[in-house]
Amino acid sequence: MKTRILVVDDEPSVRETLIANLELDDRFDVTGAESGAQALALVEKQPFEVVLTDVRMPGMNGVELFRLLTRARPGMPVVLMTAFALEGLVQEAVREGVFTVLPKPSQVDTVVHTLAQAARRPFVLVIDDEASLAFSTVESLRTAGVRALPAYDGEAAVHAVERGTVDVCVLDMVMPGLSTEDVVQLIRTRDDTIAFIAVLSDEAPASLMRLAARLEGMLHKPVDVGTLIDAVAKARQADAISRHHARVA
Amino acid sequence: MDFDRRSQELFEEQRQAVYRRTDRMFVWLMVSQWLFGIVLALTFSPYGWEGKVRSTHAHVFAAVFLGAAISSLPLILARTHPGAPVTRYVIAVAQMLWSALLIHLTGGRIETHFHVFGSLAFLAFYRDWRVLVPATLTVSADHLARGMLWPESVYGIVSPEWWRFLEHAFWVVFEDIVLVASCVVGVREMRDNARKRAEVEALLKEVRDFQEQLVRTEKLAAVGQLAASVGHELRNPLSAVQNANTYIRKRLGDTADPKVAQFLGIIDRELGACTKTIADLLDFARERPLALGPCPLYRLVDEAVQLVPAGRAKIVNEVPEELTVPALDRELFRKALINLIQNAAESIPEGREGRVIVRADGGGPHPWHITIEDNGAGIPEEALPKVFEPLFTTKVKGTGLGLAIVASAVKRHHGTIAVESRVGAGTRFSIELPAAAA
Repeated sequence: MKTRILVVDDEPSVRETLIANLELDDRFDVTGAESGAQALALVEKQPFEVVLTDVRMPGMNGVELFRLLTRARPGMPVVLMTAFALEGLVQEAVREGVFTVLPKPSQVDTVVHTLAQAARRPFVLVIDDEASLAFSTVESLRTAGVRALPAYDGEAAVHAVERGTVDVCVLDMVMPGLSTEDVVQLIRTRDDTIAFIAVLSDEAPASLMRLAARLEGMLHKPVDVGTLIDAVAKARQADAISRHHARVA
Repeated sequence: MDFDRRSQELFEEQRQAVYRRTDRMFVWLMVSQWLFGIVLALTFSPYGWEGKVRSTHAHVFAAVFLGAAISSLPLILARTHPGAPVTRYVIAVAQMLWSALLIHLTGGRIETHFHVFGSLAFLAFYRDWRVLVPATLTVSADHLARGMLWPESVYGIVSPEWWRFLEHAFWVVFEDIVLVASCVVGVREMRDNARKRAEVEALLKEVRDFQEQLVRTEKLAAVGQLAASVGHELRNPLSAVQNANTYIRKRLGDTADPKVAQFLGIIDRELGACTKTIADLLDFARERPLALGPCPLYRLVDEAVQLVPAGRAKIVNEVPEELTVPALDRELFRKALINLIQNAAESIPEGREGRVIVRADGGGPHPWHITIEDNGAGIPEEALPKVFEPLFTTKVKGTGLGLAIVASAVKRHHGTIAVESRVGAGTRFSIELPAAAA
């Protein structure tokens, strides 16, 4: 079955050209809406897997639309697209569980990749040997509308990745058992588009610092959930395709 | 430090002006005294002393020749060494010799002794108490010598009391004390004045700098607003054109006419260039709050290096991977690094094996130092102070915002940036970021 996608943009030229490109991809079945109100009406009538919406629109803006959509269809991923720098409004939306934010203009390939990724409704894998910590992080992510799973050791993490529904790993850098480096290595051999966010304390040994410096994101302990959500959105926004190519090169 | 030097400079300037002005005053005095001496000799002297006989032409000669002799050296020095210490000391001695000559010409009239006091007062115009020393010594020596050898010439009588010299000396010393005091006070006032003027100058400079800063800030704000609105306005159409072009490429890219594919490629590339220019403008214009987070410099430099077309240069990331991680706004700082590395890479002239080295150290209790060094063409000295100004560019292609973005990014992280360069040898940009607050 095709992935049903709703593209919301008040600019016909942007909307139509984007839809035409998305329709070139067999995986997608694309519908357009020129306003938030029209989008809501469409969502009421038929299901969509992903909504891609512009932020600045007359009448209802993209963030307001996102809030109403999550009420109507909880769990449906929403991707924002904006010509403006990250403004307060968008920041709020990220913390409330927007899948990610794409800049405008973005390459069509990036948009396609992001939408395909969002449609899979991937999980953030929180890898931490301290079960209660991993669990509470997962809980707060879920509360904010971000799908998340805990993994309490390296082996469990590798298994979770093998199921193919993880796109971001939040990795506690100090764990017993498999070395952190091995965990990263094992996960990457299974899926090299996965982004890592390293979580480590200020007193981490130099070897871990070195490893963390090569990962996509880094956070210091204690991690505030808002910051973590920002980092996740950013990891998803960072062009996974180019990440893959960079690593191959 | 600077202020003290300036106030000393102003003080010296004013003191020199006083010396020269007083030198000039004495030039006139020397000439007039000479003429006056001659007139005096012609009219008064013959009757003043030697009595009734009109055979006193010796005084006229004395006035003409001795007067000329006394006046000539000061006149020459005032012309050749105006303001020099030697000039005023010679003038002091000469002025006292004039007193002596005039006293002699008037036959030691007690009233003519007032010339001594007047002269000392005139010398005090120098506001240099030291000139009073040779003057006092000269007049004392003259009185002492003539008082013993030729009392009539100095006191007007043949046998003055033995203490007459002491009486005169006492009054001279008394006046000296008053004049020295006035000189000291005068110098102190000049010093105060100089200090005040230096203060006013410093204040004025501050005001002017502030004003310039204000104008610059306003200019920036205007540029920023314009850039922001134009940039945003352009992003939507650019988006549509890019999408349309992508679609056309996918559908028509493999037509028989190779030019179609080629031109579609050109459109794509040039759209990318437009997007980048707009991103630069917006980076410069936007005042979004900093999103600070731990940001490993090694990785940041790595990302920046990957986004810069190396061209002729070999770009080396020598940042230690284990370097303590600073809290930075990742995107903003990466942008700054990209601009610096790109500039460095582009500065390599043709035919040179270029290299760009990025280094970093510090962290913890120490500030971070990041340097971007190249062996490129260098920046001309006159351009160096302006490189961080917005809209300043030496490139044929460029918005002139690259380094302004860098400077503002560094500044927003409370850091400083400096540049050293030698034309033909290369350039080094150094960024210092404050140590993390403990």
